[in-house]
Amino acid sequence: MDTKNNGNIRHVTGIAAYGAQLAGLVGLWWLCQLCVRALDLPVPAGVIGMLALVVLLASGALPSRFVRRGAGSLLDHLLLFFVPACMTLLDHKELLSVTGLKLLAVIVVGILTVMAGTALIVELHFRGRTRHVR
Amino acid sequence: MSVEHPGLFWFTATLAAYVVSRIVHHYTKSFLTSPLLLTCVLCLALTVGLHASYREYMRGGQWLLLLLGPATVAFALPIYEHRALLRRYWPTLVLGVGFGCALAFGGTWLLSGLLDLPRDVRLSVLPRSFTTPFAMAFAKDVGGAPDLAAVCVIATGILGASLGGMLLKVLPLRCALARGAMLGMGAHGAGVARAREIGDEEGAVAGLVMILAGVTCALLGPAVALFES
Repeated sequence: MDTKNNGNIRHVTGIAAYGAQLAGLVGLWWLCQLCVRALDLPVPAGVIGMLALVVLLASGALPSRFVRRGAGSLLDHLLLFFVPACMTLLDHKELLSVTGLKLLAVIVVGILTVMAGTALIVELHFRGRTRHVR
Repeated sequence: MSVEHPGLFWFTATLAAYVVSRIVHHYTKSFLTSPLLLTCVLCLALTVGLHASYREYMRGGQWLLLLLGPATVAFALPIYEHRALLRRYWPTLVLGVGFGCALAFGGTWLLSGLLDLPRDVRLSVLPRSFTTPFAMAFAKDVGGAPDLAAVCVIATGILGASLGGMLLKVLPLRCALARGAMLGMGAHGAGVARAREIGDEEGAVAGLVMILAGVTCALLGPAVALFES
């Protein structure tokens, strides 16, 4: 009974901590959004918030356990947040045509070029550097 | 047909589609059932079936889109946790991002010119390798259509995450750095999610590369606009 109660309490505080962490991340982003609007910066608020959080974590002002669960779950479900952007297809029926097919070809060939090029140059540079170290 | 509470309905429907997609993907493990692709297909089918418009869908969808900002902030955690790796190999990563951006812009511009696409479409597809907020800002700067840019970005993400999985089997990549950089540069958010499935290190590198590439894109936008005018 006692242990079950303890478990329940831990469960509740766990959820509360998780909610607070999520709220903290949303709050930080919102603050950055206000700054971006006020100063008319060309960089999205998310990136400024990320830099700010890296600085907070690296300086030790904020121990990483205070954001780990909230940040982890946002990253785990990253794909979900892209779904609405995908729905813009509803407003672009003209893409279901030859232009759409051409666009698809550009995208597929482009992806293969960028991916193969980036991966190979990083791999080669990495191998070159590790050989020097040895 | 219209739904009574469109905001709540589409929000819940998207979440439900997402949960179903994750479960299906867990059992099939095929790239055809990748959660992003399957969720999008399910939601598109539902909106078309209910004759809902994009605006109606977004009454619920906007809340999810809004979370993309805090999710970007969350990338601070993996970057912080892998700071030793990043400190040691930052020249390699900068090289990869620089080369990747050159390929992304150059390749897309040449290919779309080769296929004779209209100029406004070419300008909108140009930032397709960069994560949504940067790409939309870029398209706006250079005179393309931001929402068309968003479609191209998403297509790149979905296709890139799948093509990346295949490329990983073909290319002789021994280091996590190359695998992560490839997915982060080639397929931004969806690629990062894929990289996180492969490994922690890959995920952190992909996240950082995606952000570095995005910042490069954000800085290039006004420069290109200036050059054009």
